[in-house]
Amino acid sequence: MAIVSLQEVCKTYDTKVAVDNLSFRIEQGSMFGLLGPNGSGKTSSIRMMIGMTVPDSGSVTLFDQPFDRKNLHRVGYLPEERGLYKKMKVIDQLIFLGQLHGLETTKATKRAHAWCERMEITEAIPKKTEELSKGMQQKIQFIAALLHEPELIIMDEPFSGLDPVNATLLQDILLDLNRQGRTVLFSTHRMDQVEKLCDTICLIHHGRSVLSGPMQEIKSRYPKNRVAMVFEGDASFLNHPAVESAKNYNGMAEIKLRDGADAQDMLAEAIAKARITRFEVMEPTLEEIFIETVGGRVDA
Amino acid sequence: MRNVWLIARREYLERVRTRAFLISTLLIPLLMGGGIIASVVSTGKAKAGSHITIVSRDQRLAADLQDELQHGKNSQMTVDVISPGNSTTKSTLDSMLADKQIDGYLWITPADNPDARPSISYTPRSAGDIATRDAITSALRTVLMRERLSHRGMVPRDVDSLMEPVKIDTTQAGKNADITSSFVAIYVLFFLMYMVILLYGMNVARSIIEEKTSRVFEVLLATIKPEEMMAGKVIGVGSVGLTQVIVWLFTAVLLTSGSWISAIAGEKVHVSLSPMQIIFFVVYFLLGYLLYSSIAAALGAMVNSEQELQQFNMILVTPLAACMFALAPVVSNPSGVTARVISLIPFCTPLIMYLRISLATPPAWEIALSILLMVLSIYGVLWVASRIYRVGILMYGKRPNLPEILRWLKYS
Repeated sequence: MAIVSLQEVCKTYDTKVAVDNLSFRIEQGSMFGLLGPNGSGKTSSIRMMIGMTVPDSGSVTLFDQPFDRKNLHRVGYLPEERGLYKKMKVIDQLIFLGQLHGLETTKATKRAHAWCERMEITEAIPKKTEELSKGMQQKIQFIAALLHEPELIIMDEPFSGLDPVNATLLQDILLDLNRQGRTVLFSTHRMDQVEKLCDTICLIHHGRSVLSGPMQEIKSRYPKNRVAMVFEGDASFLNHPAVESAKNYNGMAEIKLRDGADAQDMLAEAIAKARITRFEVMEPTLEEIFIETVGGRVDA
Repeated sequence: MRNVWLIARREYLERVRTRAFLISTLLIPLLMGGGIIASVVSTGKAKAGSHITIVSRDQRLAADLQDELQHGKNSQMTVDVISPGNSTTKSTLDSMLADKQIDGYLWITPADNPDARPSISYTPRSAGDIATRDAITSALRTVLMRERLSHRGMVPRDVDSLMEPVKIDTTQAGKNADITSSFVAIYVLFFLMYMVILLYGMNVARSIIEEKTSRVFEVLLATIKPEEMMAGKVIGVGSVGLTQVIVWLFTAVLLTSGSWISAIAGEKVHVSLSPMQIIFFVVYFLLGYLLYSSIAAALGAMVNSEQELQQFNMILVTPLAACMFALAPVVSNPSGVTARVISLIPFCTPLIMYLRISLATPPAWEIALSILLMVLSIYGVLWVASRIYRVGILMYGKRPNLPEILRWLKYS
């Protein structure tokens, strides 16, 4: 079942084309990455999914049905622009947002407390939002998006502004929710941050889809022509004919191989000349794939 | 509907809990009460402490005047008499004035002809002491009149009864109050109406800007419609206003109907609010608030900051301020053509029709028509405002120009 599906969707704001003939499907239970540089149309697409704006043409379905506001209670949305009432107490705020998503007061209160515990911010519960640190506010916002146990979780730039410890905490929670069968949509320009998390992606640029499909399938389309290695001793093997270019940082080398060249040949020569402590043929990163596909400067 | 209720309730509770609300709710009745007491006290006892000196060759006149000023109906002054004054008196008195020993002196030069009035000059310490001067003037008039009348052979008792002031009881149709003090009440209510409509209208705009700058609406719009958001806001803020108005009116009724006020004022002051005045205050406050707050909601959605809102304030203030200019013609002739026309303009109705209702009861059909016209305008303004709101709330950065706003109206 497609949790979300966009078919040939177009959206223009006054004169700017935000989304241009975009189509993709998000299957139930997947971790979907909507990736692209700033201003590529990610947030505009999300807004159409949840009915904040209406597409100029094309169609959007949510939970396999034409858009219906009633289904919004099944969606949790963490907007890119975080927003909470500054003067409101955290607990009141969470209850209020929970109620707006259809929860009863008692249920919302209970869940808010449980989530605050899980996010390690119980001390923030009685405080006003404006008294909290940015990271804490982020966590509150995160809880607000999850309180009503949505089937579809939409996270717009979820890790921006979080320290590594908290980013990991958040990742773990999202992975856990995904294991419970919930669908997660990541929207971000930091492709490295979600590379490990997503199983399906859609890369967009200037409102158009440039690449989409299951992550492994996309990656396998690109040659594994990069090698990372760590060695001690003679570095002359880097002049091997299979090597197109190489950077050597005191025994840590990043190597790009010629098309069709076999990494094993080079490894053989390297073993003969130096002591190898690490040798890895690397998959291309999403960022590299994106840059190669778009072919040009990405103004991120 | 549940969402509207939730938004309205949050807005209401968050506002009512603030210190600003508590202070303004309590402070206004305190000022009202204080104002009434102050005016009652000041009219009652203004001349109590004055100390003046009378200089005159005519001893009888001076003594009469002294008696009138010291024991008369409206004054309890301390009065010294110098009779007759000599050439150094004036400079002595001037230095006493400078030393603040006296508040002023009165120099009476009797006329040569007994039928002519004496020439009188008063030198006060402070030119602003009007109360003392008024007391002296009225005492002089009484004394001179009495003297002249007794000159012509009238018995002092007849003179007194002749000079008894005339008292007029004014009653308005269906209302029982003396006209001066109910005028005060009408003005107070008029300005209160102006204030609350403007204040709470602006509060709606501010509250929207707050959500816009803090980006809370992004979270809200993920579950609710912009129309619900706007309706909740208008209802929530309006309920706060209504709460405050009801508290104020309740206090006003307590203040003006209590027996304590006549105890202080000595039966002289009757300020009263009729039930009609109270009911129509609430009705026109609500209508006026809805009309102006819908405009404010649209303005709030269009701009990005309070500073930007300031530039649009004129749109809200101008129609209300224009009503101020209409105040004079309406008060002087509440049933005249001008008053009737202005009171039917929806933007002026809450102020002007209310003023007319307070002054003289307009025909029921005019009141009904004014309410109908207001409801229709509110409907129209809400329609436009909700469209502007829906698009504007998602716009940041550049402020839209008029053609853009007109284009927004066509978006569905």
